[in-house]
Amino acid sequence: MSTRLAGLLIGACFGLVLSWSGMTSPDVIREALLFQNAYLFLFFASAVLTASAGLWILRRMRVRSLLTGERIDWPPTPLRRRHITGSLLFGLGWGVADACPGPIATQLGQGIWWGLWTLAGVTVGVLLFLRRGEPDSEPARERAAPPITA
Amino acid sequence: MLHPQLPWFLAGPALGLCVVACRLLLNGRLGITGGYSEIIAKLRAGSLSFDWRGWLLIGVVLGALGFALASGGPDFHGYGWLTRSLTGSGRILVAPILLLAGVLIGFGAKLAGGCTSGNGLSGSAMLSRASLVATATFFATAIVVSFLTRAIA
Repeated sequence: MSTRLAGLLIGACFGLVLSWSGMTSPDVIREALLFQNAYLFLFFASAVLTASAGLWILRRMRVRSLLTGERIDWPPTPLRRRHITGSLLFGLGWGVADACPGPIATQLGQGIWWGLWTLAGVTVGVLLFLRRGEPDSEPARERAAPPITA
Repeated sequence: MLHPQLPWFLAGPALGLCVVACRLLLNGRLGITGGYSEIIAKLRAGSLSFDWRGWLLIGVVLGALGFALASGGPDFHGYGWLTRSLTGSGRILVAPILLLAGVLIGFGAKLAGGCTSGNGLSGSAMLSRASLVATATFFATAIVVSFLTRAIA
């Protein structure tokens, strides 16, 4: 299996679960952010716990990646100011649109055409970042020390 | 029609297993924003040879399309609080508001090195301090914004 096919299949599972859990709906997100419904927090926390346990086992057991052959590991990411400023901007947009990049994609797949405006905005936002000419903050292969400063 | 929501104790672990599968197969960090920037950067360079991150995003769209085909289309109309609050001639504001929110989402996620999936889900599961701080920051910001907009809308 190629890495591209693996990405496609994982993405399809991810998109199916996001859709089935109702994350496509801006009201589901908003009810969570207004503390009217605990579903999103329980969903998110159980996802993080499951992923955390799985990743811990893979790293601890020194498992090799099935497609790349390298030993599963990841470098630490030092905390920078950009993690906070970027997340402030991101949270502002998320709280207004009630959709983050995953649900924007599932809105496209489910035919929620309002999401095309958010998608257009995300495209502009990503282009603004790319124009800065810095190294990708989320590379396909993780680097040891991200050279981005500030 | 209203779709039944998959119970959180099934949906959450299933989503978490996607992160584990990404590590096991590719030794990669699952992040949806990485898919957007991969596709945008390649298209800008006139190329369609996306790496796995681009295909991950295409997969998300296809997974949602499959869900829509199986369950009979979207189960809501309008767009949340924006189309409820902005009626009549105010409706014209919904599109520019979503566009501007999108710019903040895209630029902010790239600057922070991840969105709800890259930092929130994968980075937190990797116990990355940067991702945990990013996650706390965007959740807190989105919660404050939601209460503020409810107060004025």
